[in-house]
Amino acid sequence: MHRYKFVLYRPLQFLPVLFGISVITFILVRLIPGDPARVLLGTRATPEAIARVRAQYGLDEPMLAQYFYFLRNLADGEMGRSILYKIDVLKLIATRIEPTLTLVLCSVVLSVLIAVPVAAIAARNQGRLADQVIRIVSTFGIGFPPFWLGLMLIILFSVELAILPVSGYGNTLSEKLAHLVLPSLTVSLSLSTVLARSLRAAMVEGLKSDVATAARARGMPESIVFWRHVLPNSLVPTVNLLAVNIGWLLGGTVVVETVFALPGMGQLLVRAIFSRDYMVVQGLAMVFACATVLINFLADIVTVALDPRVKL
Amino acid sequence: MIAALLKVTDLTVVHDGDGGERTLLDAVSLDLAPGEVLGLVGESGSGKSLLCRSLVRLLPSSRLRISGGSITLSGRELTTAPEAEMLAVRGGEIGMIFQNPSSHLDPVMRIGDQITEGIRFHQRLDAKAARAAAVDILAQVGFPDPARQYDSYPHEFSGGMRQRAMIGAALSSNPRILIADEPTTALDVTIQAQILRLLMDIRARRGLSVILVTHDLGIVAQVCDRIAVMWQGRLVEIGEKRGLLAAPAHAYTRSLIASHPSLPEEDMPAKAEKLRAPGAVPVVDIEKLHVRFATGGLFRRGAVDAVNGVTLRVMPGETVGIVGESGSGKSTLARAVLGLTPVSSGTIRFDGTDIASGRAVLGMLRRQTAMVFQDPYNALNPHLTVGKMLAEVLRVQGKIETAQIPARCGELLDLVGLGRAFLDRKPRSMSGGQCQRAGIARALAVDPKLIIADECVAALDVTIQAQIVELFRELVERMSLTLIFIAHDLAIVRNLCQRVVVMHRGVIVEEGRSEEVFSRPKHAYTAALIAAVPHIDPDKPLLAPSKMATPYADGVAN
Repeated sequence: MHRYKFVLYRPLQFLPVLFGISVITFILVRLIPGDPARVLLGTRATPEAIARVRAQYGLDEPMLAQYFYFLRNLADGEMGRSILYKIDVLKLIATRIEPTLTLVLCSVVLSVLIAVPVAAIAARNQGRLADQVIRIVSTFGIGFPPFWLGLMLIILFSVELAILPVSGYGNTLSEKLAHLVLPSLTVSLSLSTVLARSLRAAMVEGLKSDVATAARARGMPESIVFWRHVLPNSLVPTVNLLAVNIGWLLGGTVVVETVFALPGMGQLLVRAIFSRDYMVVQGLAMVFACATVLINFLADIVTVALDPRVKL
Repeated sequence: MIAALLKVTDLTVVHDGDGGERTLLDAVSLDLAPGEVLGLVGESGSGKSLLCRSLVRLLPSSRLRISGGSITLSGRELTTAPEAEMLAVRGGEIGMIFQNPSSHLDPVMRIGDQITEGIRFHQRLDAKAARAAAVDILAQVGFPDPARQYDSYPHEFSGGMRQRAMIGAALSSNPRILIADEPTTALDVTIQAQILRLLMDIRARRGLSVILVTHDLGIVAQVCDRIAVMWQGRLVEIGEKRGLLAAPAHAYTRSLIASHPSLPEEDMPAKAEKLRAPGAVPVVDIEKLHVRFATGGLFRRGAVDAVNGVTLRVMPGETVGIVGESGSGKSTLARAVLGLTPVSSGTIRFDGTDIASGRAVLGMLRRQTAMVFQDPYNALNPHLTVGKMLAEVLRVQGKIETAQIPARCGELLDLVGLGRAFLDRKPRSMSGGQCQRAGIARALAVDPKLIIADECVAALDVTIQAQIVELFRELVERMSLTLIFIAHDLAIVRNLCQRVVVMHRGVIVEEGRSEEVFSRPKHAYTAALIAAVPHIDPDKPLLAPSKMATPYADGVAN
C-alpha cells in the first residue's frame, strides 16, 4: 500500500502552513481598528480602567511579545482567554464546534445526495428537456445568495407550513436535527448546483469516452456503462472541487448560522469580531485553518482511493 | 463456398446535419465466412471505422443513422433488431478491440474486473466462476502471472500488455467475430508482431472470424485471407489478397500499394553520397551523452537513463535516421541536441561550439536549427494563417529585410509544394498532410543548418506519408540540408536516410549506412526489429515462429 504512504508524511507539511496562518491571523486581527478594552468596558470607562484591562490581557506589550505568548500558549494547548466570555478560548470554541460540524456534514451529505442523481439525469439526457430544466434551475441556485434563500425557506416551511422550527438549536438529537434541516438545505441548494455542474460536465465527457464505447462494445447496457464506468471516472475532479467548497462553506456558515441563530462557530466569529475579542478570533481562525487543511488532506486520500493512477 | 457468417448488403449510413444529409457509408456490401480474416484498408476518413461501428450499431454520434441496407448475422437481421438483442450481439457474438488500449480500458477498474464484467453479464456466472474464467482468459492472451495480474490496473502495464488485456475483454463472452480496429497502430513493431501473432493464435484456437482494420498493407498481406479497400465511404474493391495485391483494379488501391514503404531484401544501389570537404566540422557532435530523469517523489528517488552514453557525429549535408522503439531515447536525444532538455553529462557541440557554454549559444542554436513535429495539426497555431505564421518566424529571425518577407513566404510555400494560395489558410481548413507541409515550411523559414524531424509522418496516412518523405528527399537534395529523421518506421528511414542509428534503451546498438544495416544487421536487436516489419509480399511470412523477438518481449512495466 505504498500509494498511501503520504498519509504518514503529509502531516509534516501542515506545520509550516499552520505557522504561516497563525502569523497572518495574529497580524490581521490587530489591524482591525478599535480597542478590545474599550469595547469591553463601554464608552464611559476611565482611562485607568482601560489601562488595567489592557495590562490584564497583555495588550500593552509589544506585538512580538504578544505573538510569542500566543505561540507559547498554543504549544500548551491554550489559546488565551476570551475577553467577552471570560473563559478559555479553546473551551469556548469546543462548545460551538458541534452545531457547525453537524451543519457542514449534513450539508455536504445532502449536497452529494442531490448533485449525483441530478447530474446523472442531466448528463444522460444531454440536450433534452430534463437537462435544460436542470441547467436553468442550477443557474438560479448559484445566483441566489444563501441568506435570501434561508429566509425564503423559513417563510415557507416554518411560517406558512409550520412544520419546521424557525431558528435556534435543540437539546436532544431529534430536536437538533429538526433545527438543522433548513440550514443544511440552504447550504446544499447552492453547493449542490456547483457540484452538479462539474459532475454533469465530467459525465457528459465520460459518456462519449473511449472507455464507454469499449464497454458498450462488450454488450454492457447503458446503466452499467454509466454507473460502473462513467460515474467512478467522473468523481475524481469533483472530489477536489468539493474539498475547495467545504473550505468556503466553513466561512459561509457565518451567514447561515446568523440567519438561523445557530450557536455555532460562525455565529461566535461574528460576535468576536464585533467585540474585538482578539483571542477568540485568533482561535477560530486557527480552527478554521486546521479544518481546511484537514479537509484537503481527506480529499487527497479519497482521490488516491478513487484513482489508482494517482500517486502523492 | 461456406455460408457467410456475417453478410452486409448495401449498407448506407448518413449524417443528418444542418445542411441536410451527407452520405458517409455508401452502399457497402461484404461478407465474412466462419474462420476468415478480412482486412479492411483505407485512409483516415474513408469510413472503415464507421463501418465497424455500424455492424454492432454503435454509431459515434446521434446524428448518424443507418439509412439503408442490411446486416445479417447467421441469417438474423441486425439493422432492425431491438436494442436488447443488440446487447447480446455486442460482446456475445461480435467482439471489438480498438486502436488505443490506454484510452479504451477503464483506468480506475482492475484489468480482471473489466474482463469479468462481460462474463458475468453475458454468461450469468457467479463472481467466483467468472473470476476463474477471467484468469483463464488472461493466461490465453499472454499474461505471465494471470492470477496476480487480475488485480492490477491498466496503467501498471505496457502498451502491448494493455492491448492483450483489451483482447481478453473482447474475448470474455466467446464472440464468433472479432473486429479489430487498428489494433497495433499505437504499438512498436516488435510488439505489433506479437499482438498479430496472438490474434492469429486465438483465431486458430477458437475458429474466430476477424475483421482487421488497418492502414498498413503489410499487416493485411501477412495475416488476412481477403482484402477490402475502402475509399471515400465506398468499398471500392474486395478480393483474395494475393490476387488483389498483384492486380489491383482501383486507382486508390494502386496508389496505396505504390506508397507502401517496403524493405527491399536485395541491395539497392547505394545512395549517392555527397563528397565532403576533408576536415569539415560536423554540424552535430555528441560525445558520451547521458540524459537522466529523476523519478519518484520526495522520499523515494530513482533515476532513469533515457540516453545512456551516446556518441554520434552528423556531418553537413547528411541525412541520419534514428530508429528504435518507444522509450529507446530517440526523442530525448533530439531534444538534448536542441538544448530543450538538461544534459546530465557528456558534451554536444553544434557547428563546433559546445551548446552548454551559455545562453548566447542557445540563442544561436535556436536560429540555426528547426524541428518538425509528430502531430502536424497541433504543432501549428490555430489562430494564425500560414502566411502570418511564416512571416512571424522570418521577422523574429531577422535574417532578411522586412520588405522581402511576403515574397519569402511565397517561396517557402512553393518549396514545400503547397502553393501561394495557402498563405491565407488556417490549419483548421487544411488536411494533415498540408499541415505537415506548412510545418516543414516553418522549419525551412529559419534557414536552418539542421532540421530534426521527430516522427513527423507517424500520424499521416500511408499515401500522404510517401509524399512527405518524397518532399524531404527533394529538399535534402536541393538545399543540402542536414536532417536528423526520427522514426519508428524502419522502411521509411531505409528509403530516406543515408545513415541509420539504431537505439535501444538509451544506447546506440548499431549504426552505419542504411543499406548495410538493413541488409546485414550486426546486432540481434536490429535483426529483431527488421524481422518484425510486416512485408507486403504475403509469401514472406512474418508470423512464422520466430525466436528473434523474444529477448525483447514486452513485459509488465515496473
